[in-house]
Amino acid sequence: MNAPSPTLSARLAELVRKPFFWGIVAILLLLVVNLLKDPTYLAIRVNPSNGNLAGNVLDILRASAPILMVATGMSLVIATAGIDLSVGSVMAVAGAVSMEYLQNAGAPSSLGAALVAIAMSIGLGALLGTFSGLLVAKVGLQPFITTLVMMLAGRGLAKVITSGQNTTATNEQFRWMANGYVLGFPVVFLLAVAIVLVVILVVRRSALGMMIVSIGINPRASRMAGIKPAGLLVTVYALSGALAAIAGMFAVSSVMTVDVSQTGYQLEMDAILAVVVGGGTLAGGRLSMGGAAVGALLIATLDKTVVFLGVPSSATPAFKATVILILFLLQADNVRNLLRSRRPRPASLTETVETKASVAA
Amino acid sequence: MFRTKTWAAGVALTAGLALALAGCSGDDGGDDTDTGTDTGTDAGTDDGGDSGELISVGFVAVGPEGGWRAANEKNIQDTFTEEAGFDLSYAPATNLDQASQIAAFTSFVDEGVDVILLSATEGSGWEDSLTRAQEAEIPVILIDRGIEPDDPSLYVTRIAPDNFVVAQGVAEWALSALPEGGNYFTLEGPAGVGVVNERNRGWDDVMGDHPEFVKVGAQTANWSTEEAKSVFETVLRANNNDIQIVFAQNDEMGLGAALAVEEAGLTPGEDVKIATIDGTKPALEALAAGRLSFVAEYNPLFGQTALEVVNTVLEGGTVDSYIIVPSGTFDSPEAAEEALPSREY
Repeated sequence: MNAPSPTLSARLAELVRKPFFWGIVAILLLLVVNLLKDPTYLAIRVNPSNGNLAGNVLDILRASAPILMVATGMSLVIATAGIDLSVGSVMAVAGAVSMEYLQNAGAPSSLGAALVAIAMSIGLGALLGTFSGLLVAKVGLQPFITTLVMMLAGRGLAKVITSGQNTTATNEQFRWMANGYVLGFPVVFLLAVAIVLVVILVVRRSALGMMIVSIGINPRASRMAGIKPAGLLVTVYALSGALAAIAGMFAVSSVMTVDVSQTGYQLEMDAILAVVVGGGTLAGGRLSMGGAAVGALLIATLDKTVVFLGVPSSATPAFKATVILILFLLQADNVRNLLRSRRPRPASLTETVETKASVAA
Repeated sequence: MFRTKTWAAGVALTAGLALALAGCSGDDGGDDTDTGTDTGTDAGTDDGGDSGELISVGFVAVGPEGGWRAANEKNIQDTFTEEAGFDLSYAPATNLDQASQIAAFTSFVDEGVDVILLSATEGSGWEDSLTRAQEAEIPVILIDRGIEPDDPSLYVTRIAPDNFVVAQGVAEWALSALPEGGNYFTLEGPAGVGVVNERNRGWDDVMGDHPEFVKVGAQTANWSTEEAKSVFETVLRANNNDIQIVFAQNDEMGLGAALAVEEAGLTPGEDVKIATIDGTKPALEALAAGRLSFVAEYNPLFGQTALEVVNTVLEGGTVDSYIIVPSGTFDSPEAAEEALPSREY
């Protein structure tokens, strides 16, 4: 064994082993591909008509906001060895509630109405999450089944709320959430980052993170260690629901229309991918909210790249799947070991032979 | 599928009713006696005991998708009422998923409904299901959406406004709105849907002869305003705002493109002209406000036509394999304002 001297190469090796390292590499590669198509891709200009910053990178940040929200919630749920398939539907419910309320409130620039809509949406999202959490923690249903049911029920609920229509509303304050700028930066991204940071702080500064991970590793052992899984699980699912509701509001406020069949559609997949890209494992017991955030940024970058490059619609899913698959392959220990042993094979072989020889001697 | 006793009773009842009701609910002549499943044709009365005699109609529908679809499906449901002698089962797809449609279709065949109305979310993959319906001698009428590959022997008829012609109309308008030509971008529905292919073909059919119009690209926005806004904002950046015409294949995506144009600091209607298909109320309002430049109607209100076709088919009559529903266009804010008050959808 070498002395633990953290040389630069050792630190690099450490970084490479971090799962989200490859996520960052993938984002950079996608940006390079875009740069090859258009050398001014990264340029950020000031929009002459409204004085705000504008550019592809800012578009990516804005598009990543809803994914950041659901991915953060999902990373917590997955750390408990659970899964929340209902986040996309909860987004639709939150969007439906806020649009329906704002339409009937009929107050195009009332801050009060916007706040009520926000509170109602987050409340309902948290309520739906709590319900899933109770079914998982108290009734003992499997998270996959529970949230699958909630996914179907949620979209049904959204359709009931808007009577199956795509509801449109006007409210300047609510619209500002997704379209406004503060100091030239998009509000929606700043909000998303702030919320993610708050969640990370709360989880990391308290013992919450450790307890969540312990449930994921071994619920029985953690119960014996004095952790009450039930309450924690309900909290985690409720938080996931609330974050999904925020994501839903981000999504609908961008166009001030809720599309009950499309809002948040398949976003649970994006969230799960983001978490796994960031180093989470569906077996639970690992929590990396920073990694999930990298994953969310990667998915937003991927979505925008597909459009920027003009990949034909029919090839888009295959393109995205290929990128993600390559990323997973690079992350997989088996594949990395295979690649490593391929190249310097003679050296490592002799090494092992030597060690064996020395052991024998 | 049916029991002889019920069948005989049905025939007897029908014969009686046919005499009593001649000319009341259309011309359902004595043909009924030929096929057992048709005994319901004459049950135009509302006598409680006759509820079993209603014509059972299975409607494999798309479900919530947008204003157009909502108007279309509501119109069908409002037409095939019990008062008109129908028992309509409405089966919307789960999140536009074809698998859920095939499941609904299969269960209608197993139930042995009298007729199936089908609005397919996806064009391909219907051969097996349609063959099953054929074997069970259940006539299938396609509502709006066609199937691919198109095989008219698998269904009775398709009732729809003609996507090809409507898209051609949009392209013709583009020629007149920009005589000197320009760059255009197409916002499509999901890849593989029949409507998308037909609308593309109609547009390309006209644009193919006009090299002054340059296709910058085409992307799907899944019929959604939100996605269209996100897609078009990136498309504008990728092309340095050098796009003159957007061909949005539905109203919702056109409205999303308008938002993206405004956000980029451009003026919709002047810098970028947006043409959409469908003709829903929000689109006409946007046209009246000058945010859209052209709206081609794709008339959703053809429940009455469908009803007449169903009656004809159940009486053993023949219909054309494609029935085109007439549609209009709106090319100015004035035209939109005129149409708005009477807009039903």
